[in-house]
Amino acid sequence: MVTRLLGLTLTLIVLAPSSLVGQEDRVAVIVHPQRHAALSVDEVAQIYLRRKRFWDDGAVIVPLNLPSQAPLRALFSRLVLDQTETRLADYWNRQYFYGIFPPATLASTEAVRRYVAADPNAIGYVPVSEVDGSVRVILHLE
Amino acid sequence: MEALRSHSRTRRDRLIVTRRVIIFLPLLITLVSPAAWAASANEAAPSIERAEPETFGTNTPLGRLSYQAGRGVRVGKTGLVVGGFTTAEVERLEEGDSRGGLEELSFLVSLKPIPFVHLFTELGLGPLMELERGRKGVHSDPQFEVDRLYLDLEARDALNLRFGKFLTPIGRWNLAPIEPLVWTTSEPVIVDEVFDETMTGAMLHGVGFPLDGALSYSLYGTFLNPLDPDADAPPAKRSTGAHLEWASLRGWSVGASYWASQRRNGEWNHLGGADLLWQPHARVEVSGETVFGEGSREDGVLWGLYAQTVVEMVRTLYLVGRYERFDPPGVKRAVNLFDLGLVWEPVPYLRLKADYLIADHLNEFSEPGFRMSLSLLF
Repeated sequence: MVTRLLGLTLTLIVLAPSSLVGQEDRVAVIVHPQRHAALSVDEVAQIYLRRKRFWDDGAVIVPLNLPSQAPLRALFSRLVLDQTETRLADYWNRQYFYGIFPPATLASTEAVRRYVAADPNAIGYVPVSEVDGSVRVILHLE
Repeated sequence: MEALRSHSRTRRDRLIVTRRVIIFLPLLITLVSPAAWAASANEAAPSIERAEPETFGTNTPLGRLSYQAGRGVRVGKTGLVVGGFTTAEVERLEEGDSRGGLEELSFLVSLKPIPFVHLFTELGLGPLMELERGRKGVHSDPQFEVDRLYLDLEARDALNLRFGKFLTPIGRWNLAPIEPLVWTTSEPVIVDEVFDETMTGAMLHGVGFPLDGALSYSLYGTFLNPLDPDADAPPAKRSTGAHLEWASLRGWSVGASYWASQRRNGEWNHLGGADLLWQPHARVEVSGETVFGEGSREDGVLWGLYAQTVVEMVRTLYLVGRYERFDPPGVKRAVNLFDLGLVWEPVPYLRLKADYLIADHLNEFSEPGFRMSLSLLF
């Protein structure tokens, strides 16, 4: 009995954190259902750095961000942009000198999902658990 | 007398330029406004309120007037953003001169009324205030300057067309040469002395995304009379050039530049260059540039380089070191320069710098000594 309990406890210790990480740390990059583009992590990075500004059909990409204090934004920045906040601030200062600004910020992941569902040119990111049929997932990040 | 006439001509030219800008800007805004409102309405189709960072803001008939420190004032959904920068500087040079003051107050005006059109200008007013040892009182004779004014027509990532006055795309430094964006108070000699900082004409530019980076190009040439040229450094009669840059997402980029300039006697000079940025660690940045060939200021072959390292020692405090060598055209002696300084950046839009420039001998290209500056993006 003791052995079984120990085994069960060990199994829970090993599995529980990874399953939690799986749920909370998975990010879905979403677009409008009509958009069938396939993007790599690097291409998403170029979009969020405002270097890549057009979809292949010539429409202007509307990238959406979360507020700077949102944990999901920090995770997205780490997984996609892989740069420190200081480096990113320097980068955006240089872009500001040319009148180029960071992606638009929306207040919540729910607002991002609704915006993307309504605008065929938008791209955003939300937790995997919040994805529904109104948007299409083009990339999973974890 | 000739100097007086020249000064009067310069003032007259500035007035003409000011008038042109005053006429040109509202005209363009008027022309694109109906499209602007249509485009804004389309962009706001999901009718979801944005949550842009805001230092302060107020509601106006044009929409939310929202100011973010270091990012300017955004005027509702018009696509108009107005910001700028300024710098206060003091210096004590080895030759004995001591100066200080408030440099230009520069405004950055960006108007993106519809997705494929971008109007941008940098307007300067300065110097605002100058103090100099041996000269009584505070002096102020601010002049209005159009540092940049261009229209970008954006068709694709790989294809954009720029018309107007813009920074000459040679190397890295000259593409962002303002105090709040650089790490030292003085410019490298090869950026300051060799080629025209700006040009008035057209530029084809774009970017592609092979592998893990961005490959960008610029092809440009002058075909208009220079807009508000620098009276102290008259631009070449004509010029043309190209710049190619590979910027990796992994913290490094390399670039190559070519520039040809026609001197007043009709002959063409050719200049080549290369530049590098390497960020091997989150706290370390290494950059450098080299140029070789003939510049627009003097005939004869020159070459020069600089290599600069920036290290974040503790959070917000940076140690900066730069070595430069400039071998001017003709029989003039080559100069070696060392610049060592500290930069404190408490917030991304404010930089306090202090550095000392050392030269291996006194020369006409640089003024060794101590400098301090406080620069602000607003």
